[in-house]
Amino acid sequence: MSIEIRHIGKRFGSFVALDDINLSIPTGELVALLGPSGCGKTTLLRIIAGMETPDQGEIFFAGAETTHLHARERQVGFVFQHYALFRHMTVFENVAFGLRVKPRAERPAEAEIRRRVMALLGLVQLDWLSDRYPSQLSGGQRQRIALARALAVEPKVLLLDEPFGALDTQVRKELRRWLRRLHDDMHISSVFVTHDQEEALEVADRVVVMNHGRIEQIGSPDEVYSNPASPFVYQFLGNVNVFHSRQQGAYAEVERGESLENSPGQATAFVRPHDIEITHQPADGALAATIVHVHPIGPVVRVELQHASEIVEVELSRERHEALQLTVGQPVWFRPRQMRVFDVSQPPRPAAEKQAFLF
Amino acid sequence: MRGKLCKKINRKYPNHQNRFQISLCNLMSIKSRRVLPGFGLALGYTLAYLSLLILLPLGGLILKASELGFGQILDIALGERSLAAFRVTFVASFLAAGVNALFGLIVAWMLVRYTFPGKRLVDALVDLPFALPTAVAGITLATLYAGNGWLGRYLEPLGFKVAYTPAGIVVALTFITLPFVVRTLQPVIEDIETEVEEAAASLGASRFQTFGRIIFPALLPALLTGFTLAFARALGEFGSVIFIAGNLPLVSEIVPLLIIAKLEQYDVLGATALAVVMLAISFGLLLTINLLQWWTANRHKNAGGGKP
Repeated sequence: MSIEIRHIGKRFGSFVALDDINLSIPTGELVALLGPSGCGKTTLLRIIAGMETPDQGEIFFAGAETTHLHARERQVGFVFQHYALFRHMTVFENVAFGLRVKPRAERPAEAEIRRRVMALLGLVQLDWLSDRYPSQLSGGQRQRIALARALAVEPKVLLLDEPFGALDTQVRKELRRWLRRLHDDMHISSVFVTHDQEEALEVADRVVVMNHGRIEQIGSPDEVYSNPASPFVYQFLGNVNVFHSRQQGAYAEVERGESLENSPGQATAFVRPHDIEITHQPADGALAATIVHVHPIGPVVRVELQHASEIVEVELSRERHEALQLTVGQPVWFRPRQMRVFDVSQPPRPAAEKQAFLF
Repeated sequence: MRGKLCKKINRKYPNHQNRFQISLCNLMSIKSRRVLPGFGLALGYTLAYLSLLILLPLGGLILKASELGFGQILDIALGERSLAAFRVTFVASFLAAGVNALFGLIVAWMLVRYTFPGKRLVDALVDLPFALPTAVAGITLATLYAGNGWLGRYLEPLGFKVAYTPAGIVVALTFITLPFVVRTLQPVIEDIETEVEEAAASLGASRFQTFGRIIFPALLPALLTGFTLAFARALGEFGSVIFIAGNLPLVSEIVPLLIIAKLEQYDVLGATALAVVMLAISFGLLLTINLLQWWTANRHKNAGGGKP
């Protein structure tokens, strides 16, 4: 079922949680709402679920208006960060709940309920736990039960609020992959909220980056990562070095000590740590720096450079690091392979295409 | 320290490797394994305190009652007047605790889930029956519900006679036991996440189903505890009841009053017999309700379960 969100706004007192949100989610898509805490992503999800009412705007499910429909009539499955399982019921009864509360005319027979619940528990690979209570399960198991419970009523839309936020890294990775598979098998539309960029980029078909109640960018994981629409998206998705610079025609010149205050073409340049090259010899357009730290972290080596008063973060592959033989205190030169320049006034769009630069 | 003491005990009584010595050594080993200091001291105080306050008086009561035979105690307890008094006491207490279980639940829910002006005042009012001298409560209620009182004036023409009837006893006991249910339920209601209700709603449950299947089962153990406390308190209540009950033998006389009446006639043994029967029934009831409550609380926590 497709979801259409039009001009949704929500305030809590004087705090603007959502400001004119427009978003359309086609059937079968897995969308991630990504943003820092307090950006309104959970509020948006709760409005889609009918647990919160918007101050303005409309929501359409498959073309029909559902803005004021109660949560129980929306046919959405909702998964909470802290599972919200019914503690006094067994795993089986938790999953069966949605079927048991149906009006008598629609309620399946006991045998049918049993068959469906066991099938769902099989799907989440926990059928052997059916007579346990939630307190006897691990976090990952609880979240899978919560998912099975949400799927029991055959929802048209699956909404997940930071579903893996309370779990260990290892379990989280496994569940992510599993959620993706599940989504593809069930042919439903899913929306999940996360503040973990890695999670959003790995699982989602489309990522909606939010900040301060607004949508900063909507795009495929690759798009939002490699072509961020705003400085915020640049900084939120992955590490980035920020250089204060001056725009000169099609170039951005990075500050070289002299003050740029009040100069008209002020801009900010963003460079990803892995887009910086380090050399031992001065090269055309390269800047001098001193090595402050060298941290090998798994497959990459993170190098911190001191350039003037600023710290520049660089990520090198292990091979490159071995070829360079960097040591702390060594003077080196660095230049970016790729960068992006935004006006200091921060308009939502980048200041023209200034991929060429004079560093 | 522990080893030394054990050795000392063993040296003093080399041939007495009895259970007492072993358990004493075990007790000390528990003590020495504790991180918190003062286990022995605290245990000593607790036992001395409980003995002095509870075991000694009750023991004395039972000792005194043992002067009578079992048959004699039963004879006194099953006399027409005592039997009526027992019935009035237990029925009124049960009704009062029941009324409070229902309305206390509503009050507690209101105080936890909603914000409204004057909430703190209402919250403080709930404790008033604890603080107020029970005699004052009794006199106030009697005046209110008497035939010429503010409330009695309108109730009596309608056929509701409250003051000086068993109904008056229920009213007084309800007033006295209100805080028990409210105060036991409040923390438990605070613990119920609103997310659980939202989950139920998103699964298609109506408000009624959410309450009946999700919230009520979660509240039941606390509700039973509150009910038990209120019931136990009501059984022993004296001050507030005697002013409003009218104290007619066979109609509105409660057991505590009957005990006093017997004492005033120097019938100490008769009073003791009633007291022992009261004690036995109260203890039995409390035990039953506690077991029930323990069962409700533990039925979904089988062995091996950790807290979420």
